[in-house]
Amino acid sequence: MSMNREPNKEQLTRRLAKIVGKDAVLADERELVVYECDAYTLQRNSPTAVVLPRSTEEVAAVVRLCAEMDVPIIPRGAGTSLSGAVLAVDGGVMIALTRMNRVLNIDPRNRRALVEAGCVNAWITRDASAHGLFYAPDPSSQTACTIGGNIATNSGGPHTLKNGVTTNHVLGYEMILPDGTIEWLGAEPDGGEEVGGYDLRGAAIGSEGMFGVVTTVLVRLMKTPPAFKTFLCVFESVDEASQAVSGIIAAGIVPAALEMMDQLITQALEEAYHFGFPLDAGAVLIVELDGLAKGVEQQAKRVEEVCLQNNASEVRLAKDDAERAALWKCRKRAFGAIGRLSPNYVTQDGVVPRSKLPEIMRFIRSVSDKYELRIPNVFHAGDGNIHPLILYDEREPDQVKRALQAGHDILDKCIELGGSVTGEHGIGAEKIDFMAKQFSKDDLDAMQQLRRVFDPDKRCNPHKMFPGAKRCAEFAQRAQITA
Amino acid sequence: MTLEPNSIAELQELLPQSQRVGGVSLEAVAELVEHVPEDMTAIAQVGMTLAEFQSRLAKANQWLPIDPPHPETVTIGELLANNLNGPRRFGYGTIRDWLIGLAVVLPDGRLIRNGGKVVKNVAGFDLCRLFVGAKNELGVIVEAAFKLLPMPEAEAHLAKRCDSLGQAEELLEKIWASDLQPMVLDLHRIDGEPVTLVVGFAGPSADVETQSDAANALGFAAEASLDYDARFRQTAPNFSSLAPGNLISALRNLSDEPFVARAGNGVIYHASAIPSEAPSPDLQKRVKAIFDPKGVLAG
Repeated sequence: MSMNREPNKEQLTRRLAKIVGKDAVLADERELVVYECDAYTLQRNSPTAVVLPRSTEEVAAVVRLCAEMDVPIIPRGAGTSLSGAVLAVDGGVMIALTRMNRVLNIDPRNRRALVEAGCVNAWITRDASAHGLFYAPDPSSQTACTIGGNIATNSGGPHTLKNGVTTNHVLGYEMILPDGTIEWLGAEPDGGEEVGGYDLRGAAIGSEGMFGVVTTVLVRLMKTPPAFKTFLCVFESVDEASQAVSGIIAAGIVPAALEMMDQLITQALEEAYHFGFPLDAGAVLIVELDGLAKGVEQQAKRVEEVCLQNNASEVRLAKDDAERAALWKCRKRAFGAIGRLSPNYVTQDGVVPRSKLPEIMRFIRSVSDKYELRIPNVFHAGDGNIHPLILYDEREPDQVKRALQAGHDILDKCIELGGSVTGEHGIGAEKIDFMAKQFSKDDLDAMQQLRRVFDPDKRCNPHKMFPGAKRCAEFAQRAQITA
Repeated sequence: MTLEPNSIAELQELLPQSQRVGGVSLEAVAELVEHVPEDMTAIAQVGMTLAEFQSRLAKANQWLPIDPPHPETVTIGELLANNLNGPRRFGYGTIRDWLIGLAVVLPDGRLIRNGGKVVKNVAGFDLCRLFVGAKNELGVIVEAAFKLLPMPEAEAHLAKRCDSLGQAEELLEKIWASDLQPMVLDLHRIDGEPVTLVVGFAGPSADVETQSDAANALGFAAEASLDYDARFRQTAPNFSSLAPGNLISALRNLSDEPFVARAGNGVIYHASAIPSEAPSPDLQKRVKAIFDPKGVLAG
């Protein structure tokens, strides 16, 4: 790699300031601390500079300058990524889209919204709801994460079981290629959804910011279903709850969401938010059905039967919208409540075929025993997408080591069961070593071929995804930033 | 030239020695590799016809919700290479929405896999979507994994003949703004007949019944067939694509030309349609040059 690792910083920041203005360039070490990692805090490194552009033209000009000076670029949204996807491994210019955060247009007739890449996910539904429409992918960080970041990681969320993930809902977007070219991929704001040629739109979603900088996004909106029913189903054990998940799917029902939380999670949530979770339950399921009133009613009966057949001790229906909202708020803040259990935790993200859920959950328990670490679980059971939270204390180096090893064991098991090492958080800097376990060399080479289409110089968000990438020298050594 | 390998291994051997391959018949590569009903996923080799695939899935009361014309002859490979679909597209999307993994033989003979067999997976770049609709110009798809759906408990299609496009538009807007959740929303004017609006509902039987009643109240008659799609598209395989809100004005511009239109998607099949130019021509060329530098595959 022939990248300019030590660009003349003074010259670089001066030229950046010329493009975006002095107030939109951060180069002071104290200011850069915020940008030295994302929500994956085990590796850190400061970018050479951060720019906060306000328009497509500014982004393109910054990217062209970086191409001219041969400096890496790292696109960044809200920095909520859990895999180190926006880590500046080797310095470079971080392009933060947070000032480009407008909802540009809601088009109710075509059920589309046009937004800037830095627009927060939840703002789209906020603005679309007046028209009875919503934006479906709902990552737990949706009140903070940006749509540009969602494209980078092909984000999911609890409600993707029925509605799909980001790639199923993004019609088109503008992207600045690493050479500064401005391209619109996929459907245009006033155009049809069928676009000729190879599907570059689809190919670049989930590319973890390695193909260019997304600036403007056209998303599909869905009609808000007229009826919802949300159940909290209580089980004595994770095993029984897992069986109920299989039972619901086997009954031919695809709920809008099907989430599981184990006892450690519900206890922490109860302490934090006082929702009324039973403290003695081994596991709870959140089952949400949506659609038309009668069908939802019909499916609700079936869900209740299946849960009771699998020894649910209680099947509680959210009595109104407020209770339903409170339940979801708890679920989406589950990671936050973990702070009460442990000073540090690693959020893992693996996938297994749904039918292997009981097996992987048993395995996680054995890993927890083996490494003497607590591992609460809160996850998208309907998708087979697990999120074990491995608790540790970073002040004890041995615990850090065990926590990392426990995570590795769990991910290895996901691969062995026919699954994947990431369902929604991405590979980033965190899971590079697993790529060669999940894919063959030829598989990885084909991915690199696609990368060459967009970024032949490997200058865009470098040192990610592929084995052999450079790492930060500083690894898991420093205290967490206290936010 | 067309290749007819007897196995994936033979295709891997033949491809690198070939030039401008225009077609690959994979009739011999047509196994159902796996169907796990509990996971609602299945893996099929591409020589299998869609109808055969569906009939195997139906044993567990599941299906792949994509309905292109002629499923009894269309193979999984053709479905993917040409991104085929039918009237139910409005409700279920396209094959890109259901594909979770691919095996592809690249022009140099390498067999690569992308995605996997789980329904949620973001490990690595998404080559699956690149190969869908790429007409086997970048590599030859040999195997595909899909997520599936349970068969709907009930399905009903209803049609209404309209006096004019204006009347069709009025009805269409009424349905669009209502609580109805149609899976099919088609307009057609074929066989010298008047403009006809077709709606289809699927799901729990109670919902299908309620919605059919509502459509009846709007003047729709029950038990419409969807066979117009296959019949007409034989004569008009190409389509125009536009924002759904611009559909009626585009249909007005067709004057008397027959058409079948996916009103919810903004897609109009008609004889004079011209396949759209690919945007980003430089990137498009780069894709082809990088994946097939020696021009083994046509296109």
